[in-house]
Amino acid sequence: MGSTFMGLETSKRGLYTQQSALYTTGHNISNANTLGYSRQRVNMEATLGYPGTGLNAPKIPGHLGTGVQAQSVQRIRDSFVDTQYRQESNKLGYWDSRSQAITQMEDVLNEPSDYGLAKSMNEFWKSLQDLSVNPENGGARSVVVQRGIAVADSFNYLSKSISQIQENAGKEIGISLKDVNSILEQIASINEQIQAIEPNGYMPNDLYDVRDTLLDELSTYFPIETSSVKSGGNSLAIAEGSVTVSLKLKDGTSLKLIDGKNFAQLRNSGASESDGVTPKSAIEGFHIVRLDSNGNDVPLNNNWTDAGTAVTQNINSFSDLGKLKSLVNSYGQVTGDPTAPVKGLYPDMLAKLDKMAEAFAEEFNKVHMGDPADSTKYPQGSDIYGNQGEAFFINKDDNSGAGITAKNIYISSDIVKDPGKVVASDSKPGDIEPGNGKFALVLANMKFASLGELGNVSAQTYFEGLIGQLGVDGQQATRLAFNSATLQQAVTERRASVSSVSLDEEMTNMIIFQQAYNASARMITVVDETLDKIINGMGRAGL
Amino acid sequence: MRVTQSMLSSNMLRNLSNSYNKMGKLQNQIETGKKVTRPSDDPVVAMKGIGYRTALDKVEQFQRNIGEVNNWLDSSDDAFDKVGAALQRANELAVKAASDTTTDDDRKKVQSELDQLRQHIQNIANTKVGDKYIFSGTKTTTPLFDEKTGGYPTTNTDGFNKDVEIEVFDGITLKSNTNAIDVFKNIDQMFQDIKDGNIDYSEAIGKIDEQMNEILTTRADIGARQNRVELMNDRLQSQEVIATKQMSENEDVDMEKAITEMITQESIHRAALSVGARIIQPSLVDFLR
Repeated sequence: MGSTFMGLETSKRGLYTQQSALYTTGHNISNANTLGYSRQRVNMEATLGYPGTGLNAPKIPGHLGTGVQAQSVQRIRDSFVDTQYRQESNKLGYWDSRSQAITQMEDVLNEPSDYGLAKSMNEFWKSLQDLSVNPENGGARSVVVQRGIAVADSFNYLSKSISQIQENAGKEIGISLKDVNSILEQIASINEQIQAIEPNGYMPNDLYDVRDTLLDELSTYFPIETSSVKSGGNSLAIAEGSVTVSLKLKDGTSLKLIDGKNFAQLRNSGASESDGVTPKSAIEGFHIVRLDSNGNDVPLNNNWTDAGTAVTQNINSFSDLGKLKSLVNSYGQVTGDPTAPVKGLYPDMLAKLDKMAEAFAEEFNKVHMGDPADSTKYPQGSDIYGNQGEAFFINKDDNSGAGITAKNIYISSDIVKDPGKVVASDSKPGDIEPGNGKFALVLANMKFASLGELGNVSAQTYFEGLIGQLGVDGQQATRLAFNSATLQQAVTERRASVSSVSLDEEMTNMIIFQQAYNASARMITVVDETLDKIINGMGRAGL
Repeated sequence: MRVTQSMLSSNMLRNLSNSYNKMGKLQNQIETGKKVTRPSDDPVVAMKGIGYRTALDKVEQFQRNIGEVNNWLDSSDDAFDKVGAALQRANELAVKAASDTTTDDDRKKVQSELDQLRQHIQNIANTKVGDKYIFSGTKTTTPLFDEKTGGYPTTNTDGFNKDVEIEVFDGITLKSNTNAIDVFKNIDQMFQDIKDGNIDYSEAIGKIDEQMNEILTTRADIGARQNRVELMNDRLQSQEVIATKQMSENEDVDMEKAITEMITQESIHRAALSVGARIIQPSLVDFLR
């Protein structure tokens, strides 16, 4: 026979269990708008029946139910959707950052408009045309010089502005790495807490949520791979354990970043600022370190054994996913190819502008000066004083006509001081022909002359091509950013469908648990009344 | 599928922001009148835009150049007209002087008038357009007739007999000056001969006629070139229209279309807003006591 008070115990268990379910409902409602929160549920379980088996078990009809207990509190989450979400995050991070990088460059280039480099080149061409019509006119000459300065200024401005946004991208790489390092540290610390809690048979659901939010954040920077390690001890079967995080590389191998409470930190392997993460020049790659007790870097190799020297993970082994690689692709990376040592969105654009400035300016100079040794290709002309020409464009750094880049291109100070030195006449040096403007015409049409260094296209066509390429790249980046945002949105939706708190549902649960609680309380009253009958009502027949 | 409040509201926010995005783009198009504001909007349009702008700039410049050619040709024609008139007068004078009834006294008067005409033509040889001597070849800052030495430069002196050419279309140049050094020189020599008595007045009549013919030939040449300039100008004008049209078709926004789309987008946005207001529905909470 069971104990006299068994019914009370059964109902008491019901009260406790329903109460904890009710509290969990309250917790869910409170966190309805918490980022990364997954709704939680109390897993109820019927307690073992009475009597238990054994030789000395009472011989009564059994099993008699003994009520309910809260077996565990579990969060409702689909880890498969999490993996999908993180995969989309990589792509979104990459394309979002790339489309922003291109947008900035488009803003600087400002084409098509009436204020860009193309317009200033057109104005320069027009001024030379005017000079060919009015070669004796000092005003026309000054205009040529001023418009030439405007072309040089446009090149200087573009070069400077793009260098500036490149520098900003470098700073962003530094900030991203710092953020990544901090996330790694946080995840490791949460792992440690989880390892301490789980062996006691508890489910640290809210820590799981925080950890997953951090992993989501980390996955915007680069593709990651996670696996879980059980905590051991008395931990529940559904406990998630601590998470091992690795960076997935292009060739399918991975680089371990977190293992339990231990974590690695990423460092920029090339020249960098004192913080070790902000690059000073094109990126070579990254390496991992661990921090010793004083917070100093100890280089690690890829197997996490201490190495005296850092083992660089070359940037080429990173796949084109995530914000970090995208920033590197914009900022510039070392290629190892001696003909083009650096590649990247900004360095490439700078190189193209340099090439265009150099090819145009140096060919222009050659024509302007003439070459007595090659008079069929470069016949000499003469300026207004009958002298032969000198370099029109110079390199600001050393005032020579060689080594011109978009950054340093300028107009020779001699010519700025005396625009009469612009060669407009095709007469031989010594023959003063102020009204001869044929040479100015040749100079004007330099804009449309195909230049060998630009691959036999004219400066005009080269620039059109450059803008076209930029536009195509930008369009692709914008489209893919939009696509991955849409995909991520779809996954977010599915995740929310599983994990987010529905107030209606919680209200329904609230009523269910409240009523169950009430019913258990009523049950206690019933048992109380039956006991009352036995204790106070029995043996008093006739009273 | 399980749907929760937070899903509905995040969806609504996203759709609203998309809608704003589209409206912003249309608004930008209508305000600027341009289909694209950055290359990534449409790379082909952006690339072509640079080319069309250059084409238009070119046509404008060539029109400016052609104006200058016109200026030169008109002034040259006018100058030769005056030379012709002077020679006409010289002819009359020669006829008068050649008559046997003319006294020596009168002949002296004729001679002094002929001297004046000679000077007049010398002045015409130094005609200027703006600050340029138009008959000095490419030496446009030097007068053709040197007042100090009282002579014309020799024909083969560099520059004075060269052509001044102005580009009026891609690769097409028009000669804008007239190489009149020989014409002026011959006329001057003729006056000298008359003065020196190398030729008598009846001979002079024939010579003057010869020179007048020469002038007519020169003017015919100028006239022919003026016709060509006219044709070129017509061509440039139609080119300008074409270039402007091409540029506009390439990058200008179709207002009717853009405004219609804007209005459509506005009503979609309104609908989205009003639906948005509806998703904040009462929940079970409102019905529980």
